[in-house]
Amino acid sequence: MDYLLQTVVAGLMLGGVYALVAVGLNLIFGVVKIINFAHGELVMAGMYLTWWLWSAWHMNPYVSLVIVTPVMFLAGIAIQKFILSPMQNSSPTMKIFVTLGLSVFLQNLALWMFGGQFRAVSFGWAEQNLRVLGISVTYGRLTAFVVALALVLALFYLMKRTLVGKVLNALVEDRETAGLIGIPVKKYYLAAMGIGISLAGVAGTLIIPFQAAYPLVGAHFTLLAFVVVVLGGLGNMAGSLIGGLILGIVETLAGTYIDPALQQVAVFAVFIIVLILRPQGIFGGSARNAEVGLK
Amino acid sequence: METPLLSVDNVTKRFGGIQAVGGVSLELGHQEIIGIIGPNGAGKTSFFNLLSGMFIPDSGKVIFDGKDITGTDPASRARMGVGRTFQIVRPFKGMNVAENVMVPLLVNDSSVSKAHRKALDLLGELGISHLAETPTEALTLAQRKRVEVARALATEPKLLLLDEVLAGLNSREAVDVLPFVTTVRDRGVSILMIEHIVSAVMEVSDRMLVLDHGKVLAEGDPQIVIKDPKVIEAYLGSDEEE
Amino acid sequence: MKKLSLPWIIIPTAVALVLPLFMRDQYFLHISVLILIYTGVTVAWNIMSFGGVLSLGHAAFFGIGAYTVSILYVDYGVNPWLGILAAIIFAAIGSLVLAIPLLRLRGPFFTLATLAYVEVLRLLAIWAVPVTHGSVGITTPPTQGLAYISFESRQPYYYIALGFTLAAIAISIWIYRSKLGFHLRAVATDEDAVRALGVRTSRVKLGSLLISAGMTGAFGAFAALYFFVVEPDTQFSATLYSIQPALNGIIGGMGTLAGPIVGAIIMTPLGEWLRVTFSGASQGVNFMIYGAVLIVIVRLMPGGLVEGFRAIARRVGRGAHGGSRAKRPASRTHGEPEDSTQAENADATKEGK
Repeated sequence: MDYLLQTVVAGLMLGGVYALVAVGLNLIFGVVKIINFAHGELVMAGMYLTWWLWSAWHMNPYVSLVIVTPVMFLAGIAIQKFILSPMQNSSPTMKIFVTLGLSVFLQNLALWMFGGQFRAVSFGWAEQNLRVLGISVTYGRLTAFVVALALVLALFYLMKRTLVGKVLNALVEDRETAGLIGIPVKKYYLAAMGIGISLAGVAGTLIIPFQAAYPLVGAHFTLLAFVVVVLGGLGNMAGSLIGGLILGIVETLAGTYIDPALQQVAVFAVFIIVLILRPQGIFGGSARNAEVGLK
Repeated sequence: METPLLSVDNVTKRFGGIQAVGGVSLELGHQEIIGIIGPNGAGKTSFFNLLSGMFIPDSGKVIFDGKDITGTDPASRARMGVGRTFQIVRPFKGMNVAENVMVPLLVNDSSVSKAHRKALDLLGELGISHLAETPTEALTLAQRKRVEVARALATEPKLLLLDEVLAGLNSREAVDVLPFVTTVRDRGVSILMIEHIVSAVMEVSDRMLVLDHGKVLAEGDPQIVIKDPKVIEAYLGSDEEE
Repeated sequence: MKKLSLPWIIIPTAVALVLPLFMRDQYFLHISVLILIYTGVTVAWNIMSFGGVLSLGHAAFFGIGAYTVSILYVDYGVNPWLGILAAIIFAAIGSLVLAIPLLRLRGPFFTLATLAYVEVLRLLAIWAVPVTHGSVGITTPPTQGLAYISFESRQPYYYIALGFTLAAIAISIWIYRSKLGFHLRAVATDEDAVRALGVRTSRVKLGSLLISAGMTGAFGAFAALYFFVVEPDTQFSATLYSIQPALNGIIGGMGTLAGPIVGAIIMTPLGEWLRVTFSGASQGVNFMIYGAVLIVIVRLMPGGLVEGFRAIARRVGRGAHGGSRAKRPASRTHGEPEDSTQAENADATKEGK
């Protein structure tokens, strides 16, 4: 029983990071209306950037957040400005291809720059254990969870209480009207991409103390974020949060009790099963799910 | 007293916080034309969507040709005889007019050559066989509308839902398309048509239905309905923009 | 019904048939076989894009086909020809897993799900060691003979691959002009409108998926025998067998009949050259270029090369015939670049609501 609880807690910690990634993807889809196939690769970018700062400059990964966050924010803006914005009026298929191209590009950029081997950040403090109520958690995972959760909640606050957030919500709901009443839509797209991508990058920083970076690691995050967003409800940020936590637990349980190699298979299987049983997703039922095709 | 072809019993539909359709009932007989009008946002298209199967009502029933189709999917309804055109006409890309009409014809018969012949026949009956080989990208709006109706007719419907078939047409084009509607009725099809151009609708309708905020405001003889003070107020008090 | 342009079919086929007689170099023959395999997979993939469905899961069907024939041959002694038949069936069955829960997902979501499927199968292939031999992979024996589809020279492989590819193209043409093809093309434009005409769109898409998957499985099986080895990372490689065909299709022109062929013929040798040039220290650069090319092509030429040629031909034709519409003979579709963007705009706004 203790072991089960231990595993669940570990999964929960991981789930916080997954929630962070999913929430970013959700924001991007909601505002810019593009499924970012390269989202996982941007988490990977955060991971590699943090690793590089640590291995070449001995920078504490958590300190490097100061660099990673703005860099990834700018990356998001650049992607929107140079790659996505020209595609705004193209068909959804073409938009897929464009982020897919970006994903392939980034994956192989990493391969070329850093090689195929695993790059880990071995940060002593992060590996130490904290024992609370008989449960052992590494500081690295705990920090990841806490920071991720804080950022997700900060995003919620931004979306609900600030002007910027409300404008973003307006864009999610009704892009045309927002444009008609004079909202500088393009600027907000840049903002949404900046925020979404920087959250992805930060997730990378948070996770690298206990998950090594390699060129294909992005695929895992993209899949997870996607499953979370579809099951939790498109546009439903709270759904992404809860979905991320749950999926972290599911994945870790599967890794411990079934087979570590089959974690992703388990996630995918859960995804399929939920879709069969409850086509509108777990928290679905909103009209927006029609965009996904779930009815 | 003949059983109505279509019997809609108090259907409602809510989207999030909005009650799009708040209890609409109607009965439509054979070879009858009912025009549905109402200010923007009145719920006309949502109502159509409930009839064509794109949405399922939260409550209420839709009975067609004696059968309860409230929960039936759109394709099945189409096969049962509920045809529908859309406000934004989308002819099938990469096909000419005849091929567009062949799509529904192929549902019941796999032979492409037979479907082609039937399509040409239908286009001939509707007086647009000269358009048969024209790629749909080259059609004018008025022509596209007629192709849309032709396509829907190819499903051999008993009921045709026309969603703003005159939208976007100027008055001269509308005069061309309107007789189409009566031709369709004369072929034995009942029609429910949503329209903004009230005068046009009055001309062809046997009855009219006025919706506002998802509810029926008035119903009956076109001449009487438009003089109803509630109807006038609903129109005057609302935006006229498309 | 538009007539098939016979010269454009007969001449390339004749060329393809006699080509090996002029090729002494085994390497060129090898590239030709590769081109044929990729053309086949791209043509198979393209059948789904008749219906406007973008699949990035074809590596899954390719891999299932490859593993089916290898497992049956090596572990159970089943003749490879029968194995290819089984590969087709198993690949089609494998597509059912995707189809039934996932076809209801709209556009990009379905596409992402297909990508995930490839990854899942790759992991399963590594894990299910008793069946798939895990990461070690399966090597087919070099026993020679037509019965075993195993030869010393590349020529016989070429002719078998050519046979498969011509069959794939023929099937693709047949589908395009059939009831299924009509319904697929209608679904690609507007699924709701098609449903309102009585077409069961999910069955239509399912049909295209099954056929597309089965065909891909056949090529996967052939490739397995040609390369003599299957292993999870190569066979279930999304980059090689999902994205590459999609890239070929997009460059040539998605949803058209000639597009996938043109795209594959151009991109396969190019890809090989890139791979060879950028091996070793520059590993990864070749695929970086793929990614960049994809972005650029989609941005500049969404209709692909076939559209581009047609536009040129039309302009030339207008000059010659003074206003009438001239079509590039190989084109079997209408649809002009300006209008497809129009329809795409309409699609975009509909999705954007």
